[in-house]
Amino acid sequence: MCNACGNPAVPGHWTEAGADTPSDRLRARFHRAGLLDKVLRPYGLTAHDGGVVPGIQLSTLSGNQSIVPDLSAVWAEAERLLGSPIDPLDPLFLNDD
Amino acid sequence: MTTNFADGRMRLTVLGGYLGSGKTTWLRHQLHVGSFGPVHVIVNEAAETGVDDVLLASAAGLTLLAGGCSCCTGRQDLIAALRGLCDQRSRVASDVERLQRIVLETSGLADPGAIVAAIQGDPVLVNHIVIEQTIVVVDALHGLAQLQTEPLGRRQIGAADRLILSKTDAVDAASLMMLRATLRALNPSAPQSAAVLGAAQPLPDLPLTTQAPPLPALSDEDTRGAIFPTRLKIDESIDWSAFALWLSALLHARGDDLVRVKGVLPTPAGRLLLQTVRKVVQSPEILPAQDNPSEDGTIVFIGRGFRPEDLQKSLRRFAGVATSDR
Repeated sequence: MCNACGNPAVPGHWTEAGADTPSDRLRARFHRAGLLDKVLRPYGLTAHDGGVVPGIQLSTLSGNQSIVPDLSAVWAEAERLLGSPIDPLDPLFLNDD
Repeated sequence: MTTNFADGRMRLTVLGGYLGSGKTTWLRHQLHVGSFGPVHVIVNEAAETGVDDVLLASAAGLTLLAGGCSCCTGRQDLIAALRGLCDQRSRVASDVERLQRIVLETSGLADPGAIVAAIQGDPVLVNHIVIEQTIVVVDALHGLAQLQTEPLGRRQIGAADRLILSKTDAVDAASLMMLRATLRALNPSAPQSAAVLGAAQPLPDLPLTTQAPPLPALSDEDTRGAIFPTRLKIDESIDWSAFALWLSALLHARGDDLVRVKGVLPTPAGRLLLQTVRKVVQSPEILPAQDNPSEDGTIVFIGRGFRPEDLQKSLRRFAGVATSDR
């Protein structure tokens, strides 16, 4: 673990499993950030992962930004920014349209 | 078992089970026949004086943590003991054979899920220790009665990767079937086996038609409803990243209601074994390719108030993952 920045604190977050080679990992990071961005947009948040620095960059539409290490931290940070957790079982997703 | 693991981390087996279920007896026999290989055993006893350590003298190393259950009051002692082991091991050069396996025998009052969470939440231990499996010993004689009344007993079953029924020679076939059906209802993903005084016994297949007797609701469990398993069938072509995204959000929002998730998923790197205990996800493991991946893509959710159709809809609409009906 790096003394200065604390990365990587743990040997890979579980959501980053399933990619063995460095290129697979990078591809997975871009892919994950893209999917996450799509999920977060309706909540007024955006997600970006440039692939260079560790972590995912979250921003609100007003320009507030934070960098979080992994997906678990994304949901915690999103809850902090929004005031309530993003719940996949929200009736919003379950109601028949 | 004598070679070092590729990732350089030790494998920890958590051995749990209710008071007097036969944990020490089972472990003693396993140490005697050497099924774990060279292993360091940590015994936790809730009482102040330890007895089990005398019985387990055949382990390569032994630590006794007496006076405090390691899932609650004795948690700091457990973390300190494990850190001490990691420290000792780090002083040995990595090309020499080092300690590879640890077995933690919990006290009968411990919730294995809480211990797994404590170990995985420790920034030092996650770099040194992989939790390999949680084995829970169930007393065939008293197990059903305990499950009727004890919420802790149910939590222990829910946290298990593998269930071992002890004292199966002391019960008749019908009550054994009842107990096994109940265990299957509580934790359908854990394989069951039997042992008498630690020695493995053959266990006949449990017919799918055997119905578990309904368990009474316990006052300790809250009013949100009983914990029950749900199966979710997922397509071969599932996008693992999208699934992980969805599951991490679900665990964040509903982790307290989700006791356990277990399943094998296809990923670009191979078949991935995924399991969680409450909000903690164990490091996913790539499994060797198998000719008959019949159970692949079926994910078991054990939790409170989850309906399969809700999970499917949510997965489809939240993360865009297609599921097939089952």
